[in-house]
Amino acid sequence: MTTVELALPHVSRRAGQIRTIGATLAAVALGLAAGSILIVIAGGRPWSTYRDMAGGAYGSLFGFGAVLVQTAPLLVIGLGLALAFRGRVYNIGAEGQFYIGALAGGAAVILLPLRLYPLLIALAMVAGIVGGGAWGWVVGKLRARWGVNEVISSLLLNYIGIFVFSYAVRNPLRDPEASSLASKAVPDGSRLPTFPHLFTHVGILVGLALVPLVWYVMDRTPFGFRVRMMGLNADAARVAGVDTSRMIVRLMVISGGLAGLAGIVQVLGVQGRLETTLSQGYGFTAIVVALLGRLRAVGVLLAALFVSGLIVGGQAASIDQGLPYAIVLGIQGVFVVFVLVADRFARA
Amino acid sequence: MEGIVKRFGSVVALGGVDFDLRPGEIHGLLGENGAGKTTLMNVLYGLFPADAGTISFDGRPLRLRGPQDAIAAGIGMVHQHYMLVPTLTVAENTVLGERGGALLGRRSLEAVAARLRELGERYGLGVDPFARVWQLSVGEQQRVEILRALYRDARVLVLDEPTALLTPFEAEQLLPKLQTMAAEGASIVFITHHLEEVMAWTNRITVLRHGKHVATVRPQETSTNELARMMVGRDVTLVRLATGTAWQPGSADARREKPVAAPTPVLCAEGLEALGDRGTPALRDVSFLVAAGEIVAIAGVEGNGQSELEEVLLGIRTPDAGRVRLAGGDVTTLDTASRLKRGLGLVPSDRYRRGLIRELSVAHNLVFDRIGEAPFGTRFTLRKRSILARAVELIEQFSIRVSRPEQAAGTLSGGNAQRVVLARLLGRDLRCLIVAQPTRGLDVGAIEFVWEQLDAARNGGVAILLVSTDLDEVMALADRCHVIYEGRLVGEWARGEFDRERIGLAMGGVRADVRETDRPTALAKRDVR
Repeated sequence: MTTVELALPHVSRRAGQIRTIGATLAAVALGLAAGSILIVIAGGRPWSTYRDMAGGAYGSLFGFGAVLVQTAPLLVIGLGLALAFRGRVYNIGAEGQFYIGALAGGAAVILLPLRLYPLLIALAMVAGIVGGGAWGWVVGKLRARWGVNEVISSLLLNYIGIFVFSYAVRNPLRDPEASSLASKAVPDGSRLPTFPHLFTHVGILVGLALVPLVWYVMDRTPFGFRVRMMGLNADAARVAGVDTSRMIVRLMVISGGLAGLAGIVQVLGVQGRLETTLSQGYGFTAIVVALLGRLRAVGVLLAALFVSGLIVGGQAASIDQGLPYAIVLGIQGVFVVFVLVADRFARA
Repeated sequence: MEGIVKRFGSVVALGGVDFDLRPGEIHGLLGENGAGKTTLMNVLYGLFPADAGTISFDGRPLRLRGPQDAIAAGIGMVHQHYMLVPTLTVAENTVLGERGGALLGRRSLEAVAARLRELGERYGLGVDPFARVWQLSVGEQQRVEILRALYRDARVLVLDEPTALLTPFEAEQLLPKLQTMAAEGASIVFITHHLEEVMAWTNRITVLRHGKHVATVRPQETSTNELARMMVGRDVTLVRLATGTAWQPGSADARREKPVAAPTPVLCAEGLEALGDRGTPALRDVSFLVAAGEIVAIAGVEGNGQSELEEVLLGIRTPDAGRVRLAGGDVTTLDTASRLKRGLGLVPSDRYRRGLIRELSVAHNLVFDRIGEAPFGTRFTLRKRSILARAVELIEQFSIRVSRPEQAAGTLSGGNAQRVVLARLLGRDLRCLIVAQPTRGLDVGAIEFVWEQLDAARNGGVAILLVSTDLDEVMALADRCHVIYEGRLVGEWARGEFDRERIGLAMGGVRADVRETDRPTALAKRDVR
C-alpha cells in the first residue's frame, strides 16, 4: 500500500488504549491550534470563532438537531469504512456508493406502487444497501481478481456513480414540474418521521443501532478477527487460512452497502427526492471520521458527532464572524494530518 | 574498540564490549542471534553511533559520523543482504556513492573496470565489470561487494555471515580467498554462527553473548563444544556443529530400527509446474511423496523455487500443472482453509512475515489459525477464555519465554518466535507439516529445540516435508532427501546414502552423477530482489 498508513488499533491492551486516546486528544488540540492560525489568516479571531462554532453546534436544540442530521450519514458510512480500513482495504469510493445506494433505494420508493409504507421504507433500505454494495463489489472484485489498486478504482468509480445518478435524475426519474434538477418526490408516507422538538429525522437511529453491531462484528467475531489479521499481516493471514481475496470483496461490499444505506436514509430523511446535491461530500468526510475514530465503532460515533459539530458550527461561525466556510474544510484537513502523525507517537 | 555501549530504547544491545583486530588476521565474531555481533560491526562501520566507548584505528582515535568516515578510514563492510543496485553494472555499483560518482563517463568507468579486473585477478574474485548485477548469482554478487570494498582501499573488511546464502561449494571457494587477502595485510572480521567455519578459517575468535564480550580465543586452544557453550551459556547436546552429522536423538534411533510396514503417503506432489512472481517458471515438473512418520528434505540454495513450492502446497499460489494430494484426496483446487482442516500445516521460511502477526498478542498468535472453531468459539463468537487457556498450555509445553500471554508477538526473539509458530502448528491435529528453513538465524539452543520437536512429531506419525538450505540440518533430520535446483528436483538420496559432497554439488547445479569443474554460474538469478 503506497497510500496513507492507517491507524490500526492495537489489540485490547489497556496501556495502548490510553495512549491511543491521549494521542487522539492531542491531535484534536493541535488541530484546533493549527486551525486558529487559518482563522487568523482569514481575518478572524480564533477564540470567538471556536466559541461560536461550539455554540452553534451544541448550544441549542436546533443546532444539535442539525448536528444529528449531519451525523447520520457520516456515522453509517464511517462505520463501514472503519471495518474495511481495519482490513487494509482502502475504500475511497463511499461517495459514489452513497449516490448509487440513494438511486437504487430512491427508484424503488418512487417506482414501486406500494402503499404499505413501513415495508416500502424497508425495501428501499435493502435496495440502497444492495446498490452501494454492488458498487463496492466491483472494486473488491477488481482488486481480488487482478490486483487493481482499490484506492484508484474506488476513487474513480465515485465519478461514474455520481454521473449515473445525475443521468437518472435528469432523464428517467426527472420531475418535469420541478424548477431545479430533481427527481419526483418520494411519497410522503415513505419519508422518515422526525423527532419532536429536535427538527431531526430518525435516520440517526439507524446509525446508533449499527454502532454496537459493528463493534460486535469487529471485536467479538471470528470474521472481525480475520479482518484484523489481514490488516496487520495479509501474508500471515493467508498462511493461516484466511481467504484474503474473498475477504477484500466482502469488506468492499459491506462498506459499500453501508454507504448505500446512508444514501437512501438521506433521501428519505432530508431531501425527500433525488437531487444532485444530495451529499455534502459525506463519502469523503466519512474517511476523516473513520480515521479520527481510530477505526473503532464507538470512536467513529464520537468522531461523527465531532465532525458534524465542526460542519454545523462552522456554518454558524462563518455567518457570525464573516469567515469563509472553506476554513472549516481546512480545519478538517488539518485534523487528519495530526491524527496520522499522532498515530506514530501512539505506537512508538 | 573499547567499552562499546549501544542501546535501542530500553534494550541494551551492547553492554560495554571490547574488541581488537590485528593487521593481517581473520577474526571470527561468534554469537547467538541478538548477541550484538552485527550491531558491534555496524558501530565500527559508522552506521550508528555508540552511546559510550571509543574506537581507535592505527593507534589514533576514530570519530565516525557515518559510513563515509569509516570508508575513508579504510573500513569496508559486506552486509548479509547485499547492498547493490540490480539494474546497474558491477563497475557502476562500485563507484556508486562516491563523490562525483554520478558524473563518471564511459572512459572513467573503463578505468574502474580495469582496476576491478586487476583486483579480481589478484584475489581470485573474477567478475565481469560490465555485467549487470541482476544477472549475477548470489555468490558473484558477494564477490562484487568484496571487490567494491577492496576498490575503496579497505584495510579492514567486515563480512556479515558471508556464507549464509552460499552453496557449500561456493563457501569453500570463498574462504581461501579471504586468507589470501589477510596474507597481503588486510584484516578481516568474519561474523558467523557456524562453528566449523571459525575453527577452520580464523586466527582468533571473539564470542559475544547478550551484548557482552565472553572470550577471545585462538582456534587451536578451543573446541567447537566449548565455543557452543560460550555462545549459549550452557551445555548443548547438539554436537552436529562439531562433527557434521552426529545429532541423533535417542528416540529416532529406536524408531529407525523398526521396519516400516508399507508407509502410507500423506503428501503427494505430481508434476507441479508454477510461475514465480516475475512470471518466469519457478517450479518444473516437481513430484515427490512424503509418508506418515518420515521427514523428507528438499535441500537447495535459496531462490530455486522453494518459496513457490511452499505456496503451491498450501494453496496460496495456483499451479499451472500438476496435482497435490493430501491424505489420499486431491486438494489441488481447494483453498488454504480446507487444506488446513485436512491436517496440513506450514512453518513458513519467513517467520516474521508469514508465521506471526507481530502486533497481535502471543496468545492470539498461538491459535489464530483455529479461530472460529471449537473450543475457541463458534462461527459468530470468540471465547477469549479458551483462547487464553490454550495459550497458557502451549507456552508451558513449548517453554516459550514470555512475560504474559498478552505480550505482543513482535517483541519475541527469533528462537521464541519460532517456538510460537511450532507450538501453534504442532498443537493442532496435524497429519502433514511443511517446515521451511526452520532454524535459519536461530542460535544453537533454539536449533536443538526445533529439531527435537520435529523429530518428535515425525515419531508421532506426522509426515514432514523439510525445505532447507542448511545441509547439516538436512543430514541430521531427513529420512530421504531431494535437491531443488532452478525449480526442478534433482536427485534423491535415502538416509544411508547421504553424501555431503554430492548433495552440496547438486545444490549448486552440478548433477550428482557427473563431476564438473565448470559449474553454471547463473544460478539463483531470481533471487535478486
